[in-house]
Formats: sequence, C-alpha cells, structure tokens
Amino acid sequence: MAPLRLVPARSRRPGPVLVHLVSAVTAPLGGDDLELRVRVGPGAALELRGVAATLALPGRHPGRSRTLVHVDLDEGASLAYLPEPTVVTARACHEAVFRARMAEDARLRTREILVLGRVNERSGSLDTTVDVRRNGPVLKQTTRIGTPEVDESPAGLAGRRVLGTELLCWGDDLPEAVSGDWWSLVPLARGGSLTTALADDAVTVERALDAALARHPGSARPSDSISCSIPSDRSHR
Amino acid sequence: MNLAALMLADSRFPGGGHVHSGGLEEAVARRAVTDEPSLRSFLVGRLRTAGALSAVFASAACRGRYAELDAELDARTPSPAQRDASRVQGRGIARAARKAWPSPALAELLGVTPRPHHPVIVGVLVGDPFEAAQVVAYHAVTGPATGAIRLLGLDPFGVNAVLARLAPDIDEVARMAADHADTPPEDLPAPSAPGLDLLAEAHDRHRHHHDRHHSEEVRLFVS
Amino acid sequence: MSADHVHPVNFDPADPGRDPHHAQEHRAHDHEHRAVRLGIGGPVGSGKTALTAALCRALGGSVDLAVVTNDIYTTEDADFLRAAGVLATDRIEAVRTGACPHTAIRDDITANLDAVELLEHRFPGLELVIIESGGDNLTAVFSRGLVDRQVFVVDVAGGDKVPRKGGPGVTTADLLVINKTDLAPHVGADLGVMTADAHRMRGDLPVISQSLVDTPDAPAVADWVRAQLR
Repeated sequence: MAPLRLVPARSRRPGPVLVHLVSAVTAPLGGDDLELRVRVGPGAALELRGVAATLALPGRHPGRSRTLVHVDLDEGASLAYLPEPTVVTARACHEAVFRARMAEDARLRTREILVLGRVNERSGSLDTTVDVRRNGPVLKQTTRIGTPEVDESPAGLAGRRVLGTELLCWGDDLPEAVSGDWWSLVPLARGGSLTTALADDAVTVERALDAALARHPGSARPSDSISCSIPSDRSHR
Repeated sequence: MNLAALMLADSRFPGGGHVHSGGLEEAVARRAVTDEPSLRSFLVGRLRTAGALSAVFASAACRGRYAELDAELDARTPSPAQRDASRVQGRGIARAARKAWPSPALAELLGVTPRPHHPVIVGVLVGDPFEAAQVVAYHAVTGPATGAIRLLGLDPFGVNAVLARLAPDIDEVARMAADHADTPPEDLPAPSAPGLDLLAEAHDRHRHHHDRHHSEEVRLFVS
Repeated sequence: MSADHVHPVNFDPADPGRDPHHAQEHRAHDHEHRAVRLGIGGPVGSGKTALTAALCRALGGSVDLAVVTNDIYTTEDADFLRAAGVLATDRIEAVRTGACPHTAIRDDITANLDAVELLEHRFPGLELVIIESGGDNLTAVFSRGLVDRQVFVVDVAGGDKVPRKGGPGVTTADLLVINKTDLAPHVGADLGVMTADAHRMRGDLPVISQSLVDTPDAPAVADWVRAQLR
C-alpha cells in the first residue's frame, strides 16, 4: 500500500484544483523513504493540502526516515503546497526535502510548520530543506532541529518550540522587509519572499504567517495575474 | 596559517568589521544575552548556523565560480539585513585588499560584484579552503564576543576564555566546510539561522526607526 | 558600474537593476574630482555639532556640501542638524561606530569612507564633506586616509589647561578652535593662557578662538575652510 494517498477534492469551485495528501499508514517511520513527485503543467493551478499533522516517529528499524517532495512548475503554473505541521517526536530521525524547479512565470507558495516534540516531550532530530530555483536559486536553506545547543540559542530557535516558514513566489514582493520581534516577512535577493516566525505554540506561528501573507502584495490578490518580472532587491536608500 | 588569514582574522584589520555585532546587540536589547553562559549559547548557535554557512562559502571560493557563489549565498541568506551586512563587510575587505593583496582572482571577483559577500572574498584572499573556513568561522563569533564586552561590560578575560573553548567547534565547522570546497555551488550546504534572521531584521527596523522617528531604541552597531 | 562587463550567467549579481548599492562603487580611489574631506574632532561637549551647523549656514549657500556624523548616540547629531534646518536630510549620513568612535575615525575608517562615498555618489558635484567625530578625548585624531584636513575643537569650559596637555588632537590638527570664549569669565578660564599654550604646543599651526554666541556663523573658521577648498 502506498504510504501517501492523493485525494482530489470533488468540489466544482472555481480556482485551483485541490488535492489532499492523506497518510495511508503511520509515516514517516525510521527507515522509510518517501518520495512524491509533482508536475504542474503549463497554466495549471494546484493546491496540495495536508489533512492532519505529520508525526515523525522512530520506527522498529533504526536509521533515518526521508521524505522528498519534488515539484516541477511549467510556464504559468501555480502551486500552493500546504502540508499540516510536522511534529518531531522524541527519538525521531527524519530528513525532509522540498525541491521546486519553476518556470520564470510560475507561482509557488509553500508553508512549513515544525513543532519540537509533543507536549512535554523533547524533540527528536529533523533536517528539513527548502530548495527552490527559478532561473537561478531563489531560496535554499536547511533547518536542523534536535541539536539542543542550537535549538536553545538565540541564534538558532531561541528556545521556542515552533518554527514556521512560508515561501511566496507569487507576484509582487514588498520592497522592504517588515518584522516584529519574532517574525519577519522579507524580500529574497532574486524575487520571492519568505516569512519566518518563532513562537511557543503553533497557533501563534500560524497567525504570524497569516498576517504576513495578508501584507504580501502578490498574495493579497491571489486571483490576479502576476507580472513576469522578478522584483528587485531594493534597500532603504 | 598564512599571513593573509591571520590579518583577516585580526580584529584590528581595517575592513569595517568592528561596527557589526552579528545580531548580538539586538539579543542584548531583548535580554537574551546577559552574561557569559548566555553569550556562549549565542555564539555556539551562531557558529553552527551562520558560521557554518560562511565557512562553506569561504572554502568554496578558493576554487572560483564567483558569480554562482554570490547568487547561491544570496539564496541561503533570506534576511536582507544579513545580506547587506555581509556585502558591506565584503566591500570593506575589498577596499583593503586592493592595496594589500592585488591578484587576478581578486580582480575577477570584483568584476563579478564590487560588493562581494564577506566569506567569498575571504576565501579568495586566503586561498586555502580549511584556513579560509577557520577565518570566517572565527569571525562569526569574535565580532559578537567583542560586542558583548562593549555592550554588557563583560569581563574580557572571561569572554576570551569562552572564545578559546570554542576552538574544537570552530575546527569542526572548518573541516566540514573544507570537505565541500569542490562541491558545485548549487549543492553547497545551506544551514539556516531563524533566530539570527529575526534578530537582524529587528535590529535593522530599530536602526532605521530611530533615524526617522526619534525612537528611544538606540543602536550602536550597524548589525 | 561596469555595465560593459560580460557575465555568462543570467542571475548576475552585478546587474545594475538588482542592487542599488553597486552603482556607488569605483569612486573610492578617484581622487581627481572628489570632495574635500574635513574632519571635525574634539572632546564631548566642546561644540563640534554647533560648529558644524555654523559652517553649514556660512558655507551652504556657496559650497556644495554634506555632513557625516559619528554619534555614539546614533543620530542625535544628525537630528540636530536637520532640526536646525541648515542642511537637507539627504545631505546628512549618520555612521554607527560599534561603541568605538575613535576606531571609526582612525584605526578602521571603513564605515566613514562608505558614508562619504555614498554622499559623493548621491551628489556628484559635491565639494566638501564635513565628517564630525563622535566625541573623543585628547588623543583622538582623524586618519589621513579619511580626511584631507582636520579641525580640533576644545572649549574654555573644559578647563584652560587643555591646550597645555597636548595630545595629537591639539598638537597636530590643521586648525585648533578654542570654543565658547563667551563662557571664559564664568568658568574662571584664562583665555590668554589657553591661546598662548595652544600656540606654544602647535608651532606655526593656526588657532582660532571663537564664540558661537557672539558670531553664530563662525566666520573665521568658515574663512579658513574656504581657503582649504582652493
């Protein structure tokens, strides 16, 4: 049995095709190696959503579990990839990669929320990579969770239990960063924006990501067509 | 270690590094760093994230492909304030290097961009992947450590001892980085630093907010 | 900006459309047509900012000038100049010194050079950049790599033995200004002693005593600055 099932929604609403990602077994477990490849054809619009939080759990077999999601976005394609939060349980040892290769005028939105352990549980280990290229690199970063001295450091996760990030390659970006104490929405060097939020609970992180999304010019009007130009990295002066 | 490496690692090197705290000033403003133990926590986190990223790019820059490295490091540095801090310091080193260490490799780098990222120009000037990585890994912690002495009045001998005890960590980061010297730019590691990214943006916000609105929040460092 | 440079990759970081900072390069070593750089240093409270403002008033009408401030309290000096209305906001750049104002004007002048070059780029016809230090002690001087001429400002309220104490600022600055002479009777300072000591310490280098209360536009210092521009 496939560990992941893709369940298209039956609604005939206008807009993107909605497909739910459903875990058919408890996954990922130690030793699992899951790979999902998605291609969004020219002009197509797809929304991939999770239905429940992913629990990264240790399995009976020792070793890392791996998940690779590889996405190709053709000309004019758009994808919103919105899995539910990943909870990194104690003794989990998981590696997740989200990789997207985009045509110049394709659109991508992807949100990742990581929770360090269930309530009153310390976190296992997780390496999660976002790697997006659109005519050159847009964003590549690997977040490593489960190294206590980095998790606790103000430079790392500042002792917070939940990290949220959302990449928006979706039309216009703000010319300057906006931020609060533990969140920011920043324009990337070669187009696209990234929201980052740290908090002690997932609700606060989701609110921060939603607030940032509302301030992102390209995403605030998702039905609009986007311009093909990559916004420049303007600074304060 | 070659002399260029020693000079670039020297806090008296005139490359503009002394006005950057690497997020420490903002961490101090939030009382996230108040003493030697919390400083050590900050430094270890910084070394393992931003320090490791810099080390990897310093090593790789010993092998050329400057335009790609520039773009790839940009893609691994989401915070505009951190990109700017890196390029301002790289430009500062370039100003000193044009006089001290002119070379075809330096000319090539500055032809690609007159504002190179800090670790990339260090790699070009040092030339040895391990030593270049050591220099930038050390730089990742020594600037904030000095900032803590200035901003918190910490005992300089205590802070110096904190730095000295990071030696095995710095060498481990440098070895990992040197192992990637020949990795293609797009495949280079990309360790993230969410806390530093947020501290850097908040610092920048306070810095400019003060310029515009007479906020009480004072910032003495550029980053 | 080397727009003629050929770049094989399309994510070229030197693309002028993507990074506004790039264009400000290549003036760093262009000494032919750059502005004269004048440093104004001296102890905290001696009146550096007031003198800078006076020079802006006196020279602003005839000289294309801009100011770099090095304030340990970040932008207080820049705010003072803006509030005084003597200079447009975009002609003032505030430099942060990392809590080390001496280092920023002497040992590592990178941040100040960046600010000067930014102003030169913003105003291509710039003739004079005044760099005001962040408040020093008597040992602080500007690097010759940063400024062409420097003024050291002391004031009578600091005590009439200050010139006698010497230090590189008093002895080597291109101009020594003894400021706030109107206060001399109130603080028991002997102006005659100060001036005599200053000349003794400085040999042939000039000394100007002034009060911005009596002469708000600092005419003697302004004349000296004009002479340096020729």
